[in-house]
Amino acid sequence: MSERLLEIKDLKVKYGNIEALHGISFHVDRGEIVTLIGANGAGKSTTLMSISRLPPPEAPKVVAGGIFYNGESLLGWTPDKIVSELHLILVPEGRHIFGNLTVEENLKLATYARKDTPQDIERDYQRVYSLFPRLAERRKQQSESLSGGEQQMLAVSRALMAGCTFIMLDEPSMGLAPLLMYDMFRALKELNKEGMTILLIEQNANLALKFADRGYVIDTGEIVAQGTSAELMEDPEVKKAYLGG
Amino acid sequence: MEALFQNIINALQWGSFYALIALGYTLVYGVLLLINFAHGDIFMVGAYIAFGVSVFVLGVQGLNLPGWAVLALGVPLTMILTAGVGVTLERIAYRPLRRKGAHRLYVVITALMCGLILENGNLALLGASRKKFPELMEKTVWTLGNVSVTNLKVLVIFAAFAVFGILNFIVTRTRIGMAMRAISYDKFAIPLMGIPVDNIIVFTFVLGSGFAGLAGMLFAMSYPILEPYMGALIGWKAFIAAVVGGIGDIRGAFVGGFLLGFIEILVVAFFPSTLRDLIAFSILLVILWMKPTGLFGVARHQKI
Ligand SMILES: Nc1ncnc2c1ncn2[C@@H]1O[C@H](COP(=O)(O)OP(=O)(O)OP(=O)(O)O)[C@@H](O)[C@H]1O
Ligand SMILES: [Mg+2]
Repeated sequence: MSERLLEIKDLKVKYGNIEALHGISFHVDRGEIVTLIGANGAGKSTTLMSISRLPPPEAPKVVAGGIFYNGESLLGWTPDKIVSELHLILVPEGRHIFGNLTVEENLKLATYARKDTPQDIERDYQRVYSLFPRLAERRKQQSESLSGGEQQMLAVSRALMAGCTFIMLDEPSMGLAPLLMYDMFRALKELNKEGMTILLIEQNANLALKFADRGYVIDTGEIVAQGTSAELMEDPEVKKAYLGG
Repeated sequence: MEALFQNIINALQWGSFYALIALGYTLVYGVLLLINFAHGDIFMVGAYIAFGVSVFVLGVQGLNLPGWAVLALGVPLTMILTAGVGVTLERIAYRPLRRKGAHRLYVVITALMCGLILENGNLALLGASRKKFPELMEKTVWTLGNVSVTNLKVLVIFAAFAVFGILNFIVTRTRIGMAMRAISYDKFAIPLMGIPVDNIIVFTFVLGSGFAGLAGMLFAMSYPILEPYMGALIGWKAFIAAVVGGIGDIRGAFVGGFLLGFIEILVVAFFPSTLRDLIAFSILLVILWMKPTGLFGVARHQKI
């Protein structure tokens, strides 16, 4: 019996007066890789920012429905507590690394709210540097000067250093060369094998469905299809609209 | 030659006050990109708090503490209470505006108003009469040839350097210091690291105001006459020093503060003292003209 970790129920959110999600429902079980695919402006980032409880105006306001983590509603939570206490972490679209800090400082800052021992944290540094050796080579480098792909690695690494057990990734493949992308997804797969739950957003549906166990298709604020990755890949509608025929 | 040494010592002491106050401007700016124009008045409030604390402690019957003990008690108390004033301003004036996403212009105007409220609130509360700060330190003068230094001057200069060392350590080495630097770059991502943004902002105000309180106390000990407008001009000057040094960078505030101290003292050494501000600010203007971002500043792109 799989354990329901994240559950979204009839979620409606607004930016100002404009409704961006019109009542979506989906769930993620512990240890799963689930993907949310959809075109530009479908509401993918909006969904993840709602779950992270980020404040307006960048993020939307929840007007109806619920977000549950381990059965508990997240609506009263602050974004920092969701990270520090629930270990549910968003790697946002556009990476948002701290360009004025070095690679090392970015990682150290991510451990700000960790409550476990220095040994645990040290082990995570080793883990991150072995998953992404390029970051180890660039430890002392100002992160602004990293390449796009390296910045994405840093963004994922920060989430790991913050102690995440559930990672939400908003288009991690954006701007990555194929080789780096392959590296990134291999690393994510490895993390999943060790127990990390993953919710992945992608425009590249081919890539996402190959990687994920299950998926949902979102279109202008509504879920229009769902199923296992295999099912979605065979779905004629999905094929036509998202997989290039 | 001896005159030069004497001037250098005086400039170090005078620059210390500018540096201590400029650090507060630069810290808040570095985190919030807000020019906290009330900061000079927080310094003034700090001096009054130091006065209140010292008079109170000296007045407690049967305690009869020696001056140095009053000082040892007064410094931390003054710093804590002044930090409280800074944090209160943040809470009741700046935070609500931030929550509503107000344009920075309105926050700066609010800061100016807060400064005026502190000045006039003080006036209303304590009246216009000047206060005489009690003597807490037995004055010792060391002389070497014609150069003389008092223990108080040494204390002031030492305090400025120590504060700089502490702040530099915090900002470059600790996680909270990294968070302070990271906020101005990307506020959106801070909570995603598990960091409550407001805590970092409060901490910044604690540091800036606490050290303004220290400056207020040391200033009151050095120039023991207090009046409600004592923070206005020195606050403006320290702000300018922070800008010339490169606002947002604590090295800039420190260097800018001492630079202004040196320029002022040296101008007076060679010209009539009425020309002091005219010449000093002309020099600073030329520096900004050559390097508009200030000595340590880097051009920063507009961020959220
Ligand atoms: N801060 C905002 N204020 C107002 N409207 C917004 C804001 N952010 C997004 N929207 C709107 O909400 C809708 C969903 O946007 P969202 O960013 O979630 O799309 P997305 O699926 O992530 O698209 P993309 O693939 O381009 O990243 C769009 O119509 C968008 O214009
Ligand atoms: Mg998006």
